[in-house]
Amino acid sequence: MANEPLLDRRFLERLERLTIHWQRSFNGLVGGHNRSRFSGGGQEFLDHRNFHQGDDLRAVNWRAFMRLDKMFLKMFQVEPRVPVRILLDTSESMAVDPAKFEYARKLAASLSYVGLVRLDMIELMPFAGELHKGRTVGGGRQRFSPLGTFLEELKASGSTDFMKVARQFLNEFPQRGLVVIISDFLGEENCEKAIQYIADAGNEICLIQLWTDDERSPSWSGEFDLVESETGAKLHIHVDSDSRKRYTEEFDKFAASLRTLALRNSGRYAGIPTSLSLDDAIFVELVKTRSIA
Amino acid sequence: MELLNLTLGQFLVTFGGVAAVALALYLLDRTKKRHVVSTLRFWVTPGQPAPVSRNRRIQQKVSFLMQLLGMLLLLLAIAEFQFGGGFNKHRDHVLVLDSSAWMSASLPGGAKGTTLMDSVRANALGWLRAVPPTDRVLVVRADGLATPVTAWETDHKKILRAILETTPGSTALNLSQNLEFARGMQERSGSDAGEIVYSGPGRISAREATSPNLPAMPAFRVLAVDDAVENCGLRSVGARHSETKPGVWEILVRARNYGRRSRTVSVTLNYGHAPAGNHTLELPPGEDKETLFELSSRAAGILEARLYLQGAPGDGFAADNYAALELPEQRTLHVIVYSDQPASLKPALESDPQVRAEFRAKSAYTPENDGLVILDRFRPAVQPKGKSFWIDPPSDRSPIPVKERVDHPEGLRWIPDQPLTQGLRARNSQIESTSVLQTVNDDVRVAEIDKGPVMIARGDMLVSGFNPFAGSMRYELSVPILVGNILHWASPDTFRDVDVGTQSAGAVSSPLPTSVDRKTVQVLTETGSVLPFNIRDRSVQFFAGEPTRVRVLSGSNERVFSLTLPEMWDAKWTAPRDARKGIPAWNDSLRRNRVLWPWLALLGIGLLVAEWILYGSYQLSRLQRVAGTARTQQESAA
Repeated sequence: MANEPLLDRRFLERLERLTIHWQRSFNGLVGGHNRSRFSGGGQEFLDHRNFHQGDDLRAVNWRAFMRLDKMFLKMFQVEPRVPVRILLDTSESMAVDPAKFEYARKLAASLSYVGLVRLDMIELMPFAGELHKGRTVGGGRQRFSPLGTFLEELKASGSTDFMKVARQFLNEFPQRGLVVIISDFLGEENCEKAIQYIADAGNEICLIQLWTDDERSPSWSGEFDLVESETGAKLHIHVDSDSRKRYTEEFDKFAASLRTLALRNSGRYAGIPTSLSLDDAIFVELVKTRSIA
Repeated sequence: MELLNLTLGQFLVTFGGVAAVALALYLLDRTKKRHVVSTLRFWVTPGQPAPVSRNRRIQQKVSFLMQLLGMLLLLLAIAEFQFGGGFNKHRDHVLVLDSSAWMSASLPGGAKGTTLMDSVRANALGWLRAVPPTDRVLVVRADGLATPVTAWETDHKKILRAILETTPGSTALNLSQNLEFARGMQERSGSDAGEIVYSGPGRISAREATSPNLPAMPAFRVLAVDDAVENCGLRSVGARHSETKPGVWEILVRARNYGRRSRTVSVTLNYGHAPAGNHTLELPPGEDKETLFELSSRAAGILEARLYLQGAPGDGFAADNYAALELPEQRTLHVIVYSDQPASLKPALESDPQVRAEFRAKSAYTPENDGLVILDRFRPAVQPKGKSFWIDPPSDRSPIPVKERVDHPEGLRWIPDQPLTQGLRARNSQIESTSVLQTVNDDVRVAEIDKGPVMIARGDMLVSGFNPFAGSMRYELSVPILVGNILHWASPDTFRDVDVGTQSAGAVSSPLPTSVDRKTVQVLTETGSVLPFNIRDRSVQFFAGEPTRVRVLSGSNERVFSLTLPEMWDAKWTAPRDARKGIPAWNDSLRRNRVLWPWLALLGIGLLVAEWILYGSYQLSRLQRVAGTARTQQESAA
């Protein structure tokens, strides 16, 4: 099964009818598919403004000048090419259940392919304690193959440091764009703060939280020595139905806080259990949040 | 209370072991295990202390108790726990199903086509449902005989099949014999005696009703059947030769009213499918009446008697309304007499209507013979075929050589113990002259004088050295007796006394004439096979369990029984007061040892399943997970 591709051909064909969407207007070169409120070298008229010295004379509305004896500049709507940056959590907590990490890689691959089909620039960056060297591809679906190989070779290890990753990201990628974070957000307690930094820098965030069924509602009971996968911290605990119930409530509360964070910053949030099929995750859950359409 | 499969000690030890294992597993389940998780943050609620380890203690007491109780119930099921004392042992029941001929009568108030047998079967099935599955049942079909149709069975399917396959027979119920048989089987079974159950209306013979001889039964149950059926039927049909009218049969038909009201019936006789008579009878309830028909016919044929009930309600039992018997041909013996003085022979031969005498002159002799030829002092050139009686043949040409001729012989005597001399007791009969014949070893001497035999039978030939129809002897009684014996000797079938009768199957008794030798009695079925019989009090007794035709031969008598009528009852039997009655109720002792183990097993399994659902980790958490996923999806959609 090692040679099996992450996504099969039929699934990829189905993905081709989707498009990644964002809400914010970003500045950038012509060539994208999402309209921006910034004016630029587009074809569709947007507005007039007063002429300032240094403006391109070709954009002056000479008819208005002849009539009013005043120079106005025509502005055009632009659909800029906005980079889509996918941050994939490769920390140890993602590998507690190997299926979860596999699911995350497939999800990242799917979103990358959707972007490539629409000629978006995809920057895929794994992270754990720091931002690892990623892979930037663009120019169409034929460029998906190296990205797929890159994802297949990823290994999950290390502990998560969201603040460090956020700082590093903002330093390396000053151009604003769409930031998709695929993670369980479980490794570190102050991940919300780091995400808020990224959003404050003008990026539109899309949080995709993954969890396994056992992570949200544990099925085991009895006496346990619980070991945290990333830190190795231990907790001796008696698990019964009451404690399991409280655990699930806390988990749901955390997921709700992430969702609130995303919405507050005009972003998107999708909580996806790994028991949900990838097909449903893409075509139902993400479509429902309008991350893709 | 008792345990069938385990002793109390074994049960306690086993349950103790199971309980100990359950407790160990329960505590082992509570030992701490290492588990790697993605995060610890949600296990510790902010502001609240971490959950404390409470190892080696029973946390979920109800769960543990449910487990123990479930296993206790399962163990009791395995041990076959039962309530009660002596009732709980396996018992042997005998189910006596009335399959007498009366069971094919219509069920009063029932649907068309339903019979008393259906009601008997239904009662038996109802009783069978109340029998504990561990008890054994023996099914006996009861009519004139007791016929067991199953072994001691616990398999209710086999018993059910035996009940459903029981059909009415042809004989009447012999209740005491059947109950005696049932009791005997119970005593020999080796287990505790259960019930003896009789299912039927209890219609028995008069003999049984006057001298009831029921065995002592510890538990006797009667499943009564209502049989208030209006019925009139033929009791018997008999035929015999008329003693006064040659060639006439006297047909005696006896009919009986088994119902509760007086009825008018018509009895119709058909012979060879042609009407032969019709009589109307008034039958008071419970009484018999006879009617006599005369039928003139020498030919053989089938005589059919039918009974029709006039008025409503109709006849509820049709099987006894028809009887048929086969009348034999009335034969005659052709006797050819070659004599120049036939006048002396005519009185002796022409007095019997079964003899057709033909007198011919000696010159008209032919050897043809289809009966008997009498040669009066005459020796033909060719001897006649068949039986022949030679009267004083010429001494020089006698078929049996003559030793000497004696005149006025003295001391003529008949040799006894022979068919030809039956009834001849006279001594010193006077004859004028006789030839003394020479005998060989196989000759049968019939009469002799001091000097030797004077009448000898050899093969088909009877030779008399003297003329019994001459002289003073012709006036003696010996002569017609001798002629009768000769005619019997010539054709015994023609002169056999035939008595034909139709009656019911079952036990049959036929009176035996005093003159008949017991050794000559034969009882034959219609196929010619010998039927076992017994002679008691000068009566031949035999049993026919099904409709058939039986011939009883005794000497020169033949009695033919057409046993085509069903054997009917005479009286209604009343069950003893101490007998149990009807299908057992729920609180009946028969049901007290209900088997509990399936219920105990179900309850035990139910308890364990309930514990698993309420306290088990798998099912509850799965439900919670599904609910949680649904809730998250709803929130995401919102």
